[in-house]
Amino acid sequence: MKAIFIVYDQAYKERMLALLDQNGCRGFSMFPQVQGRGSKSGEPHYGSHAWPSMCSAIITIVDDEKVDTILDTLHALDLQTEKLGLRAFVWDIEKTI
Amino acid sequence: MSLYEGSVKRPIMTSLIFTAIVVLGIFSLTKLPVNLFPDVDTTNIMVMTSYSGASAEDIEQNVTRPLENTLNTVGNLKHITSRSSENISIITLQFEYGFDIDDLTNDVRDKLDMVKRALPDGASDPIIFKFDADMMPVMILSVQADQSVNGLYKILDENVANPLARIAGVGSVSIGGAPEREIYVYCDPVKLEAYNLTVEAISNIITQENRNIPGGSFDVGNETYPLRVEGEFNDPREMENIVVASLGGSDIYLRDVAEVVDTLQERGQMSFTNGVRGATIIVQKQSGANSVEICNKVKKMLPELQRNLPSDIRIGMINDTSESIMNSIGSLEETVFFALLFVVLVVLFFLGRWRATFVVAITIPLSLIASFIYLLLSDGSLNIISLSCLSIAIGLVVDDAIVVLENTTTHIERGADPKQAAIHATNEVAISVIASTLTMLAVFLPLTMVKGMAGMMFKQLGWMMCIILTVSTTSALSFTPMLCSQMLKLKKKRTKIMDKLYGPIERFLDRFDAWYQGKLNWCVRHRPVIIWTCVAVFALSLFTIKSIGTEFFPSSDDSRLSIKVWMPIGTRTERSQVVAEELAEKWRKDFGAECRVINYTVGQASEDNTFASMQSNGTHIISYNVRLKNPSERKMTAFDVASIIRTDLGNRPEIERFTVGAGGSSGMGGQSTVAFEIYGWDFTETDNVAKMLRTELKKEPGVAEVRISRDEYQPEYHVEFDREKLARHGLNVATAATYLRNRINGSTASYYREDGEEYDIKVRFAPEFRTSTQDIENILLYGTSGNTVRVKDVGAVVERFTPPTIERKDRQRINTVTAIVESGTPMSKVVEAGQRIIAENDIPLGISVGIAGDVEEQQDSFSDMLMLGLLILMLVYIVMAAQFESFSDPFIIMLSVPFGVSGVLIALWLTHTTLNLMSALGIVLLLGIVVKNGIVLIDYIRLCRERGQGVLKAVVTAGRSRLRPVLMTTLTTILGMVPMAIGRGEGSELWRPLGVSVIGGLTLSTILTLILVPVVYSTFAGGQIKRNRKRHARQLELDAYWQQNKDKHIKKAKK
Repeated sequence: MKAIFIVYDQAYKERMLALLDQNGCRGFSMFPQVQGRGSKSGEPHYGSHAWPSMCSAIITIVDDEKVDTILDTLHALDLQTEKLGLRAFVWDIEKTI
Repeated sequence: MSLYEGSVKRPIMTSLIFTAIVVLGIFSLTKLPVNLFPDVDTTNIMVMTSYSGASAEDIEQNVTRPLENTLNTVGNLKHITSRSSENISIITLQFEYGFDIDDLTNDVRDKLDMVKRALPDGASDPIIFKFDADMMPVMILSVQADQSVNGLYKILDENVANPLARIAGVGSVSIGGAPEREIYVYCDPVKLEAYNLTVEAISNIITQENRNIPGGSFDVGNETYPLRVEGEFNDPREMENIVVASLGGSDIYLRDVAEVVDTLQERGQMSFTNGVRGATIIVQKQSGANSVEICNKVKKMLPELQRNLPSDIRIGMINDTSESIMNSIGSLEETVFFALLFVVLVVLFFLGRWRATFVVAITIPLSLIASFIYLLLSDGSLNIISLSCLSIAIGLVVDDAIVVLENTTTHIERGADPKQAAIHATNEVAISVIASTLTMLAVFLPLTMVKGMAGMMFKQLGWMMCIILTVSTTSALSFTPMLCSQMLKLKKKRTKIMDKLYGPIERFLDRFDAWYQGKLNWCVRHRPVIIWTCVAVFALSLFTIKSIGTEFFPSSDDSRLSIKVWMPIGTRTERSQVVAEELAEKWRKDFGAECRVINYTVGQASEDNTFASMQSNGTHIISYNVRLKNPSERKMTAFDVASIIRTDLGNRPEIERFTVGAGGSSGMGGQSTVAFEIYGWDFTETDNVAKMLRTELKKEPGVAEVRISRDEYQPEYHVEFDREKLARHGLNVATAATYLRNRINGSTASYYREDGEEYDIKVRFAPEFRTSTQDIENILLYGTSGNTVRVKDVGAVVERFTPPTIERKDRQRINTVTAIVESGTPMSKVVEAGQRIIAENDIPLGISVGIAGDVEEQQDSFSDMLMLGLLILMLVYIVMAAQFESFSDPFIIMLSVPFGVSGVLIALWLTHTTLNLMSALGIVLLLGIVVKNGIVLIDYIRLCRERGQGVLKAVVTAGRSRLRPVLMTTLTTILGMVPMAIGRGEGSELWRPLGVSVIGGLTLSTILTLILVPVVYSTFAGGQIKRNRKRHARQLELDAYWQQNKDKHIKKAKK
């Protein structure tokens, strides 16, 4: 089991949900309003006067074999619309209840 | 769920809600009445009291004064004016604007009830009229007749005037120029004397002969028959055969001593339309009634009335106020459509996409139509103000939609799908869109609080703008994102046609951006030069103030003239008519191309024509109504024609004086007048001051005409009887006077009946026996014992001058000198001239001269406007300071306001337009629009700085990025006003100043906003940075000092 943490520009919301469904990820947790900025070039998303856009984040816990397909799809989406901003991070899940 | 998210997610609901608003709006539009102005008619109430036999002075003392004293206590009264003339007192109460006439009428009635008992016994009960006799008639009809001329008055009175007077809102319907049929028995005094007959005896005999008497009833067998004697004449000629006396066995017939003439009233008014004799019917409206509605009802009624009239009587139209109102409104509607077209073109030019243009343009009809709902609910009307308001709003309502659309496009281009893009993009700009609308509301809301005349004009405008702007902002935050989400999509490839068409425009715009960026870059680095140049421009523009005139309200050419000509007093009707026809003939020749109808009425109105007798009329007075062609069909303006007519009249020595009125139907929009009110008790002294003013004012350039309100003293013949001599012959003044009256004026013996109509039979001396004082002196009076004596034996006939009509204003005797200002000459110049004349000449003690007329209204309104301007500035500042959380930034933005004003001044100066109520309104509007540009710019500069750019870079980047939005909003507004500023339609004089001032002010202030605001901002921000640095340095110093000496301080504290 691995956790995928996806941070994305709010505008992705619907595509993101569709993507999870396509890959058979039923469970996820969502943070609708997330602030942040990219390490290299990403435009800040602060919801402020200067940087009005905002991010959302999703954590989904998936089986190991699904991780790559999901990440590939996400990467393809990011390349398509670079200006919006989309990042995903994966780490291990040690225990669940 | 926010407003925009909800509407994007529920497109059907959103579009249907707005469809419902549009449907309701269009429904309201069909129900809206049309008027020239919002209800700005002065609410005037007239109180008329008659007291027969009293002279002007008696009337003034016994009727007018007590009434005035009581009526003066009615609330909301502005002025109380009165005219006391022989037999009649007319008091006009002028109320403040905006009160319900019915409530006021009730108040007046209550007061009259209180004072009624204090009036003299012979005085009639005061009658209240809800209209103003001075008001121009809303409609003048002409009547032509062949066979029915004799009964014309009666026919018209019953079949036309009465039904028309029943129309709601009609104040009065009076018939002019239709003389009544009368049957005269013209006696020869010499023959009467020979047969020992008198006028009274003949009159009595006729009464006795002209009778139908029922004789009771009688039975014949089983039947009962009524018995009647039918003595009434079937033909006036029958009268000639009446036996009036017997002398020496032979009968004397009436034909032996008199002549029976079946004719028209001797002293009647004559009315001619385009040279053909006929009658005129004048329709006046009540205060506050809608002219267009009345005219429409009258026009609808006319065919029906025409059917009930004898076939030879034809009713035609001389003058129809509704026509010029409808024309004005029509030409304004045209400008609104042009404005719409221009705005759409500008948006298309800048956006370059049909779909985007559609999304933005749809906001215009949406918000404009919504305002009709308000108009209907608030009893408003379609008028110049409300339509001007639409014209102004067209450029403003697209702004919010454009901001939302631009941001959505940016989001879509970044890769968001349209739905999400619409929601988030709207979310991002919602606050600033609302803030900028609040700024506009801060401008327009105070307009709804203005009092007085300006208030009546601007209240509607203020509310309409507030509603339109609120609706447009709501639509920008709901309908626009919905449409964006449905209609916009990422353009991945542009079509070739688009490339060809829009490519050059796009390249031009890009180059323009770059050029502006370069220039701005130079400017912010040479700040002092720019600031001082701007100050110099402002200072220079102030110099134009000297040469810009002021007037209260622009005069409008409503294609009609009303002219009144006074021949010397006592001129006979026939002579006046000859002169009238000569003049009319000349004008028909001179202004053939301009003129549609020339109608004139001459002569004395009959006594029972109350309304006509309230207007000044007499055998020597000619009044013309001239209807010109529509402005587009002629070369000369009504004012040009008026001034030529004035010269014509001035050149005829036989004309005593004249007035020529051009333009404007209800006091507004007419030629400006300056009234000098001379208050004082003594007639001679006030007359002298008035005459002096008239002579001096006439010398001033720009004064078209000077009128004195007090009539000339009227010469009269008085018969002064010697009471003792009268008594010796068994006579008294009353009986002697009755003899005189019966011979000159005639005694109504009886009535001749024909077809259900009654006509007076009057017995009097034949006209040739009452043409000189000798004729009067030779009249025989009969004593109680049958003895006779001539007038000259018991009295003398002397010529006297009676006091004129006594006019009062605010309970003081007044004589008003009114100067008509030549169109194009500012009113202020005439006022100055008048003041100079008054100062240079000695005004006797106890006489005061005040200036009134349009000036009074102008001063009131302008001071209101000034207060309003200050209030708006303050509110706008508060809104902006709250938005930016800063005191200095709003100040910088407001720097563009003075340049807006100088732009207006320069534009007025260049186009020779005066500063009037409409151009002042333009300045008020500018406050909001000008400030809006500044907000857009400063907001983006702050954004760039928050993103970490340095001051100068932020200013230049923001300048380049906001250039297009600023130009777009400005151009939409300016082009929206262009049709108003250059319009040539009827009534365009009224709104041209508004268009000119907005265009001038906005152009200059936008150019300067684009340069000065960034420059001043960088100066302020630079200063701020320097201050911050100094403060920081001081802080560091202080910290270092503290670190060094902290032990000392702490120890001290411990000790």
